[in-house]
Amino acid sequence: MIERIKQALKDCGVSLWILEDFTEETAELFFVKKQLDTRRFKDVRKFKITVFRDVEGQEDKPARGSTQITLLESMSDGQLRQELESAYYAAQFAANPYFDLPDPVEAPIMEKTGELAEALLAESAGKAARAIFTPDVHEDAFVNSAEIFVSRSRRHILSSQGTDAAYTDARLNGEFVVQCREPEDVEIHNIYSYDALNTDALSKKVEEALTFVRDRARAQRILKSGQYDVVLSGESVRTVLSYYEDRAAAHMIYPGYSTWKLGEHVQGEEISGAKLDIDLCATQPYSEEGIPMEDLPLVRGGELKSIYGANRFCRYLGVNPTGVYRKLRCLNTGVPFEELKAGPCLWAVTFSDFQMDSMSGHFGGEIRLAYLIENGKVTPVTGGSINGSLFECQGEMAFSSDRYESAGYSGPYGLRLKNINVAGAGGEYN
Amino acid sequence: MFSSFDSIKPALKKLVSALSEEYPYASLLAVEDDWRRWGVTQGGVVLNASGFGGGTGFVVRVFDSTGCAEYSFNQFSEEQIPEIRALLARRLAEQNQALGGFQPLPTPIPADDPAQLKKGARFQVDPRAMGDEAILSKLKAIREKALKTDERILDASLGMAYRCCRKLFLSKNRDLDQTLMWTTCGLSMLAARGQELKNSYKGFSNLGGVEVLDQVESAVEQVSRETIEMLDSEPIPPGEYDCVCDPDTTGMIVHEAFGHGVEMDMFVKDRALGKNYINEYVASKLVTMHDGSTVDEAATMYFDDEGTLTGDTMVIDKGVLKTGMCDALSAARLGVKPTGNGRRESYERKAYTRMTNTYFEAGSHTPQEMIASIDYGFLLERPSSGMEDPKNWGIQCMVSVAREIKDGKLTGKIFSPIVLTGYVPDLLKSVTMMGSDLELAGGGFCGKGYKEWVKVSDGGPYMKARIRLG
Repeated sequence: MIERIKQALKDCGVSLWILEDFTEETAELFFVKKQLDTRRFKDVRKFKITVFRDVEGQEDKPARGSTQITLLESMSDGQLRQELESAYYAAQFAANPYFDLPDPVEAPIMEKTGELAEALLAESAGKAARAIFTPDVHEDAFVNSAEIFVSRSRRHILSSQGTDAAYTDARLNGEFVVQCREPEDVEIHNIYSYDALNTDALSKKVEEALTFVRDRARAQRILKSGQYDVVLSGESVRTVLSYYEDRAAAHMIYPGYSTWKLGEHVQGEEISGAKLDIDLCATQPYSEEGIPMEDLPLVRGGELKSIYGANRFCRYLGVNPTGVYRKLRCLNTGVPFEELKAGPCLWAVTFSDFQMDSMSGHFGGEIRLAYLIENGKVTPVTGGSINGSLFECQGEMAFSSDRYESAGYSGPYGLRLKNINVAGAGGEYN
Repeated sequence: MFSSFDSIKPALKKLVSALSEEYPYASLLAVEDDWRRWGVTQGGVVLNASGFGGGTGFVVRVFDSTGCAEYSFNQFSEEQIPEIRALLARRLAEQNQALGGFQPLPTPIPADDPAQLKKGARFQVDPRAMGDEAILSKLKAIREKALKTDERILDASLGMAYRCCRKLFLSKNRDLDQTLMWTTCGLSMLAARGQELKNSYKGFSNLGGVEVLDQVESAVEQVSRETIEMLDSEPIPPGEYDCVCDPDTTGMIVHEAFGHGVEMDMFVKDRALGKNYINEYVASKLVTMHDGSTVDEAATMYFDDEGTLTGDTMVIDKGVLKTGMCDALSAARLGVKPTGNGRRESYERKAYTRMTNTYFEAGSHTPQEMIASIDYGFLLERPSSGMEDPKNWGIQCMVSVAREIKDGKLTGKIFSPIVLTGYVPDLLKSVTMMGSDLELAGGGFCGKGYKEWVKVSDGGPYMKARIRLG
């Protein structure tokens, strides 16, 4: 198929292109309680191609336009030519200031190894199912439903500039809902994602979720409105830190949405708390454009060390194109989590949907379960919402020494933020 | 366009017949997709035609002795039928063996009543006929106009997309064929307050073509004004207030706060409180809620992704919860009729119960009458996100703007961002006025949890209610 596409590109006079040949197979399981709802399997192969066309831009400056299309194996040679001709014609109208394509990379295929990459998908899916339901032995709190997606993929990236690189990948991800019926019938929704068949971590996550949902069932709607020291944990910490990742992206800096420059103190000038140390982690050997990806120091001691991103925006900014990352590592550490949440605070454990708006700097969400910790007493609470501004609290951040690992985050489990606005279920908090 | 399905349809029928020899039920959904997105921003021009969701492909559904199974693929020819049949059998055997002690969820085979249909929706201006050059020129011109409205505007981003999609559903007794097109367009403008970026957004949608673009130009001044207003916004003092919701905010409450809670696959899982409230009051008598395809908007369709013909579902009738929305498998498990709400993100994904066009019926009041009736409260505008909580009917919705109302008048003061919280029936029972004009908007997508994105529309009239804000 690749040779057919190359011939069609030649026939259409397309001399600049990037092609991604993507193959994926999956096994998917869906459960209602411990009963099997549906089994699904998938085999797909797609050829995503970007064609580029050089044109004369504004004020006679060179410009380069592009169009992305997807080709399928079932297409005839005539159809391939028709699709590529149409894309090439359209590319002239989507012109941007000139930029060089990614530098060529030629490398042998990088094969992922390990059980998830090598075993039958069905077997891995079965093991993941047992990992979820093994801890499900309690009478009061139980797994309500679960979804399991085991996937194996292969990407082969080629370009007109000579790139020819390929790698394989395997992932386990999905979600599960835990429920507790007494004293109040409640649930908590959980997402998981691993790049290995990490059944122990999955079982531990289920066990922890069962504890949380039990607490949510007895949580009270007594949270009062006011300002609290808020402790976040797990993925919520990653969500807040995504602000620094977003603002350092070339596609945010080039259009002026972010004014950050290398060496900038990204937390401001007055830092009495932790000065951030953040890396971006490569979770794949090449980006979609065929750029080799490596771990990248992003922030050190609160100073911006790198600007990262896809090829075009990095070229415009004169920085090395790095590709777009999916995982963030925070190197900061601090006191044990138990100590971090000592003293008056609100440990917000789960939200209906916790969000960080990197444009406005606001973060927040509705609280599904939090622990109100004051005067040595820990009270599970539910209801109300957090509405914080990172600009106002980023100088006084404190992290835990306990670590958390997931497919998208590696770093401190806990983060304490001072004086965060909380809308409670009634009354005022002093 | 979309002629390739005509040539392979006989072979697709043979595949269904071949699978029917082996399994007591077999069906096939074929999706042929044409999607294009244009964008103009400070970052440049984007033209992407790489496919919406999974693009073009197929999914077969069969029932074996364990229950329901599906296989998604995007390569097909008549010669591959024996291969597909063998591959499905092998993977089912491998999976059944690997699952060992897990028992199946009892599921009657869904009804396969005879039905034939071939239908397409009409549109005024075909984006393919208008062409990329004309569309991008129009978008660029609108953007230039937007940038000139105020020197404090940092950027104006315009995006437009259409999806023209043909779907075939084939089973032993059904032969359904539909072609639908939706087009959406959005204008977003940005202004900076130090490091803080404030934005305003207006989206447009239709079951149709480029004619939607005409609406965008007329909204430029309004979006610009709202963006600049946001620079003076401040956090709201948390509390419970009398509120007037604009139609978009009403739509978010319809969809996020209540709609997800009556998706009946959640009834099967015991995840929805709504199951216990059928034929009970869950809202004020002013509230009547519908979901379905009897209105023309972005989520209108003639049959769903499981081959169930669509119509109108009256979910709430004058405050009383009458029924939920249901996909075919959940309907079989619950012993009810499916409502045509079995939808997939693409042929690559599972079908779930999903909303389509969901809205509250209009009432009799004007927005001015609602504002005049409030001593102190807020006019809520521009919903930004929402999340469902069907189990506990908790509300989490976010809006960008709360306009202060004092003594029956808008003061001009703006608060942002705003989180709506509370208990859904409390909010819906507090509704005391409904506006006379119904508006639907289908610019966005809806997820099930954090995935499975499908095109939906939602809306309603202006609505007065008591809401907890923070």
